[in-house]
Amino acid sequence: MRYRNATAYRFLTPYLLIFAIFWIWPIISSFIISFQATRTVPWRFAPTFNWGRLIGDPAFYNALKNTLLILVIQVPVMISLAIVMAVLLNSPLLKARGLYRFAFFAPVVVGEVAYSAVFRLMFSLDFGIVNKLLDSVGLSKIDWFSNVTPAMAVIMIAVTWRWAGYNAIILLAGLQSIPDDVYEAATLDRVSKLKQFFYITLPLLKPVIVFCAVLSIIGTMQLFTEPFLITERGGPGGGTETLGLLLYRQGFRSLNFGYASAVAYTMAGLAIAITLVQLWLTRDPK
Amino acid sequence: MAAVTLTNVVKRFGGFEVVHGANIDIADGEFVVFVGPSGCGKSTLLRMVAGLEDISGGEIAIGGKVVNDVEPADRGVAMVFQSYALYPHMTVEQNLSFGLRMNGNPKADTERRVKRAAEILRIDELMQRRPKQLSGGQRQRVAIGRAIVREPQVFLFDEPLSNLDAELRVQMRVEISRLHKELGVTMIYVTHDQTEAMTLADRIVVLKSGNVEQIGAPLDLYDDPSNRFVAGFIGSPKMNFLKGKVTEISNSAAIIELVNHGGAKLRKPLGQELPAVGAEVVLGVRPEHFCEAGEGDCDIPVKADVAEHLGSVSYVYANAGPEELVIEREASRQRAGDDHFTVSIKAERSLLFDKAGARIR
Ligand SMILES: Nc1ncnc2c1ncn2[C@@H]1O[C@H](COP(=O)(O)OP(=O)(O)O)[C@@H](O)[C@H]1O
Ligand SMILES: [Mg+2]
Repeated sequence: MRYRNATAYRFLTPYLLIFAIFWIWPIISSFIISFQATRTVPWRFAPTFNWGRLIGDPAFYNALKNTLLILVIQVPVMISLAIVMAVLLNSPLLKARGLYRFAFFAPVVVGEVAYSAVFRLMFSLDFGIVNKLLDSVGLSKIDWFSNVTPAMAVIMIAVTWRWAGYNAIILLAGLQSIPDDVYEAATLDRVSKLKQFFYITLPLLKPVIVFCAVLSIIGTMQLFTEPFLITERGGPGGGTETLGLLLYRQGFRSLNFGYASAVAYTMAGLAIAITLVQLWLTRDPK
Repeated sequence: MAAVTLTNVVKRFGGFEVVHGANIDIADGEFVVFVGPSGCGKSTLLRMVAGLEDISGGEIAIGGKVVNDVEPADRGVAMVFQSYALYPHMTVEQNLSFGLRMNGNPKADTERRVKRAAEILRIDELMQRRPKQLSGGQRQRVAIGRAIVREPQVFLFDEPLSNLDAELRVQMRVEISRLHKELGVTMIYVTHDQTEAMTLADRIVVLKSGNVEQIGAPLDLYDDPSNRFVAGFIGSPKMNFLKGKVTEISNSAAIIELVNHGGAKLRKPLGQELPAVGAEVVLGVRPEHFCEAGEGDCDIPVKADVAEHLGSVSYVYANAGPEELVIEREASRQRAGDDHFTVSIKAERSLLFDKAGARIR
């Protein structure tokens, strides 16, 4: 038995080695680096250097505020939308279900750069289809990328477009695991379709909804691509800078690895904390 | 309380017809069992009565009122599903009261009904548990309780016992019988198990491939089946079918040669419709209707293959030419090593069928 275990571990060694070098070590290393002053040569241990700066850094609070704002608005909107999409996808009246399922899932597969470019185009001041539409219904054009609020809105719309379908597919799997006869029993109990949705579907779907919410929270905490590419590095004037962008700016443009590591640990810590609160709030009674 | 009448009921799924014009009259307070092999359309019929499936043709009336276009909840029926269909996230109590609560039923009345159902089914102690904390039998009780709470005119059961083990099945069977006595309402019960049908039903409806084969009281179906299918389906172990040929007609009786048993002949008195001489027929004999050599009208020698000893009786699986027969014998008569023996068939305890399976009386 022991011999067989040893053999198994020998087969696993290449993977474990790579895992250790490229996952475990960076995690430990960045933790250590976050306590070092990294803009002097050689780096020296200075526990409060980065963390102290973080606590007083307006750029950090700006990025934190932006990230949380996106989180608080975008995640609930997207999950609600995904639930509606999943319920529609699950409807027996729907024809060509496979086609819709693919269409909803497709945004995830599209390259990030291509998708960002398309969103920039769609929201461009003079050539964008969105402004053309606003114009055609008699509303004034919006300069999406020069003002903070519209720029934030574009990011939230883009992220929602990209991930709502993905969540809908996961939720659809959850919906399909609810047996038909539970609904039939409810129909015989004279429970309307709407009440069935709120009293049967939602409670039974709760674990899947929580799962989607946790995934989305973690994803949004790390938000980088959209503010980097669509609103041009967190523009206008840092108005859409997220923690992910701040990390990038500090780490890879200013080459301040210590500070970037501290930001990274803050992001991870926040994601874990929010997820735990979420799990606690939605726990099963008893 | 209500009678249920099915008139020429047809069901099509797309272009595919699965129920071909069923006519069934169920009296108020009657316990009727739909029985038949899997896929014969029992559930479909029941679901049409419940309103969970559209009716493609014909009429269903409950309590004298045609319900074809009546919403399921307004038909006065309650259904117990094979998989119980309990609401998994609710306690037993919530499961029972859910429908009433959703419809704004007065709280005191809801509590009274739930309490009564719990007493009838003896599930008082389980009220705060969730379905996954219950055993199969307890879940079944809750499912029945949920039906009772609705105080329906008609109870519908779709194979309610098929997920239970044998012992529990017998116990729940008795309970359902008791429930029927206690409530006195019409019950329609679907099963593929003829034993369940025989033990529960006031009347049985035998179905095959979407057709009603025969309707009757359990013992009427057992004694006087109208065709070979019903004869084979009702009764356990199954009726034996022996190939025969009519060699002579005389005095309104047919002389039948059992072709697989070395020319053994049986004189079978018949009524008006006599088969033609030379016609191929099938003789049906129940395992319990064989008698000892010389006691009947036609002796056939058999060779025992396997014997199942149940205590009071033994079932002997015997080969006789190409036919395998099941013979019930008194335990004392079937001894080890006693492989070759002769049994006898009584003409009045045998049934005659034509080649197509219709009964010749
Ligand atoms: N929703 C459906 N769509 C198409 N065919 C169905 C559907 N439900 C049942 N059938 C068919 O109708 C026939 C009868 O089914 P069912 O009533 O469930 O049989 P039973 O309950 O007697 O086993 C079967 O051939 C089955 O395949
Ligand atoms: Mg069925």
